[in-house]
Amino acid sequence: MKKWLMFMAMAMLALVLAACTANKDAGKEPEKTDANTPSEDDGKGSGEEASAGDKILYMNNGEEPTSFDPSIGFDAVSWSALNNIMEGLTRLDDNHKAVEATAEKIDISEDGLTYTFTIRDNAKWSNGDPVVAGDFVYAWKHMLDPATASPASFLAYFIEGAEAYNNEEGSADEIGIKAEDDKTFVVKLTAPNEAFLNIITNPSFFPINEKVAADNPQWHANADTFVGNGPFKLASWDHDVSFEFEKNEHYWDADAVKLDKVHWAMVNDSNTAYQMYQSGELDVSGVPSEMAEQLKDSDELRVDDEAGLYFYRFNTSMEPFTNKKIRRAFGMAIDQEEIVKYVTKNDEKPAHGFVTYGFIGPDGKEFRDSVGDLISYNPEEAKKLLEEGMKEEGYTELPKVTLTYNTSESHQAIAIALQSKFKEVLGVDTELQNVESGVFASEQKEFKYQMSRSSFLYDYADPVNALESFITGSSMNRTTWSNAEYDKLIEDIKNETDETKRWELLQDADRLLMEEMPIFPLYFYNQTTLEKPGVTGILRHPVGYLDLKYADKN
Amino acid sequence: MAIYIVKRFFMMIATILIIATLTFFLMHSIPGSPFDDERTSNPTIQANLEKYYKLDQPTHIQYLNYLKAIVTFDFGPSIKKPNESVNTQLARGFPISLELGLVTILVAVLSGITLGTFAALRHNGIVDYGAMAFAVIGISVPNFVLATLLIQQLAVNLQWLPPATWSSPKHMILPTLALATGPTAIIARLTRSSMLEVLTQDYMKMARAKGLSPFRIVFRHALRNALMPVVTIMGTMLAGILTGTFVIERIFAIPGMGKYFVESINNRDYPVIMGSTVFYSAFLVFMLFLVDIVYGFLDPRIKLHRKEGDA
Repeated sequence: MKKWLMFMAMAMLALVLAACTANKDAGKEPEKTDANTPSEDDGKGSGEEASAGDKILYMNNGEEPTSFDPSIGFDAVSWSALNNIMEGLTRLDDNHKAVEATAEKIDISEDGLTYTFTIRDNAKWSNGDPVVAGDFVYAWKHMLDPATASPASFLAYFIEGAEAYNNEEGSADEIGIKAEDDKTFVVKLTAPNEAFLNIITNPSFFPINEKVAADNPQWHANADTFVGNGPFKLASWDHDVSFEFEKNEHYWDADAVKLDKVHWAMVNDSNTAYQMYQSGELDVSGVPSEMAEQLKDSDELRVDDEAGLYFYRFNTSMEPFTNKKIRRAFGMAIDQEEIVKYVTKNDEKPAHGFVTYGFIGPDGKEFRDSVGDLISYNPEEAKKLLEEGMKEEGYTELPKVTLTYNTSESHQAIAIALQSKFKEVLGVDTELQNVESGVFASEQKEFKYQMSRSSFLYDYADPVNALESFITGSSMNRTTWSNAEYDKLIEDIKNETDETKRWELLQDADRLLMEEMPIFPLYFYNQTTLEKPGVTGILRHPVGYLDLKYADKN
Repeated sequence: MAIYIVKRFFMMIATILIIATLTFFLMHSIPGSPFDDERTSNPTIQANLEKYYKLDQPTHIQYLNYLKAIVTFDFGPSIKKPNESVNTQLARGFPISLELGLVTILVAVLSGITLGTFAALRHNGIVDYGAMAFAVIGISVPNFVLATLLIQQLAVNLQWLPPATWSSPKHMILPTLALATGPTAIIARLTRSSMLEVLTQDYMKMARAKGLSPFRIVFRHALRNALMPVVTIMGTMLAGILTGTFVIERIFAIPGMGKYFVESINNRDYPVIMGSTVFYSAFLVFMLFLVDIVYGFLDPRIKLHRKEGDA
């Protein structure tokens, strides 16, 4: 028996050794974490003893942020952190309007093309350096440099010379951004843009401390080299495990910041995160879909709008959807109210147009309200349109229709609901097909599906951001639909300087899109979160990034 | 023995190369790219990204680059997390998976063999039924169900243990329990059935007739032979558990390497797919190699050099 045990022990040992030699660093890592864990615990313990009144908010980021290089981290898991440890020229306030942040004054030329930003004297980096105009020039050129391969660079194409440089057709010096002096930053646009101040709230327009970055190009990869200018500073970052913010005493508006620390876990499983929330290890959690109904009336539930929507695309080059009446018939056979009430059950708003809620026009009225319902459930009309459409095309029998979605339970539930509605209202049998999401994304762009699931999330808060998706040849179009009148409308919107006229054109575009119906909308997204009682002031914007500047915990 | 090991070593290299090549071509034959998603993807940006990751080069050049990456064990940066190299991810994730895996295996082997042995000795008794009922449950309840139940009961309702994350020994208990139950059950069943077989052998009667103590009979003579099937499955079981289990790591938010296998494929993160596949296959092949050697020690009838001729 002893021998046997010896062999087992030997095998185990060989295993561990093998593991260590497989990679030189592999052996070091556990020691490091072993050494870190107790000291971290000690730190926490003594910290709590020293200042028991420390306000620490416990959040969950879901996963490791993609990157804290503001030009690279172009997704929510990076933005939730970046928006709190760095700051751009403007920041969204609690009404979701872009207001002065690092810039204290913004002058716009009469033609709407030149923006002059004056940077605050007391705007400082977390290492004490002043934030200068050159830091913005550096950061924006870094984003547009084709070698950076930033996924965000298209947002800057409104700036003179930006697209050319990013295409390798122009030089960095031709970009219309300039530091006139340390505190004056000037931007020239190619056309007036109502949304410009909103667009630059995106973290990809945040400044980068030029001195730090020139010194160490990987400055953003770890907490000890990271330098930011936001309400918080990055105190620690244990990759793939957690990171922590501390209040940034160098922040120009430090008095407004109430939290001392923010601890971010990276728990990807929504059920686990919810269980951690229940056991008090998290102050904020998402709502697992299985729990949505049960938590519907909870006092801790918070529902915010999110500018984006769930919709379906028709392929207008594939029969029978080459015919507008048939497209409209399918669209009218769908009851959006029923879908949000019985299928998604998450309190979303049904969508009767493409532009989401949350856009207020120059008349002070909500965009959606002024346009009204452009498509809604109408079984009689749907049947009539189908008949007419089939006559126009000379069909005695409708060509087979296949509805494609990327594999997921929630998409499936909606697809089944659509299928049964098409049968019930139009008497049409449709086939369902689910496809792995990577394959789905690429085949949808290759126009391989007759009718397919889609979603849209705004990149910046302006209706044109959604509407321009459907101009001819846009990579977001994916329907083969092409309409000269619509292309012209979008072109006019982009060149229109009169706000009221522009708003009317936007409404016309939404109407035309719904009339032609290359797509049909289902519902507008929302964000549902759970917050422990006592947590206040967390800002969540329909288009924008989580903001903890004013957050508090009692 | 030495020749056998050298031979097996070259076989190992060949196996890994074949797996790696298959992975490469399968990976490139599935539609989709790392940059396909719902968002607008501007053609310029796509081109910049492809250039950055050298995906604009012809397939055979990419394949050569990839072979070079295997030989130098440097897979370059991940596409989804551009600031990190695949090596960093593996070096960070693997020790954690290994830690969880070793504890799990230890628990599973010790408790599985104990359960199986006692069940066989008390054949058709209450201990046997109890152990086998446990084994049936352990095999049939998936570990993610068990994990969720354990968290809900022990962490949320009773608040005895922390629900998730990987920061202290206390945090290790629940994931180990959830992960070890299945292997424990498998080992217990295997041990029991082969133990029952061994106990009826003539040499067992002989041992008893010699008047050896029951303890000595069971542990020295019976168990040693009964363990052969257990050792056989240990190779694959070890490789699977030690390199991380996606579901358990996800549920308990353990930063191991399990997620790299699964997520890299969903994301079409080519360097991570290649890195984790090569790493995993090398590990698996090496474990099987170890098992073959352990056989020789456990059962002298299996002569390693005889296998030489077969190979």
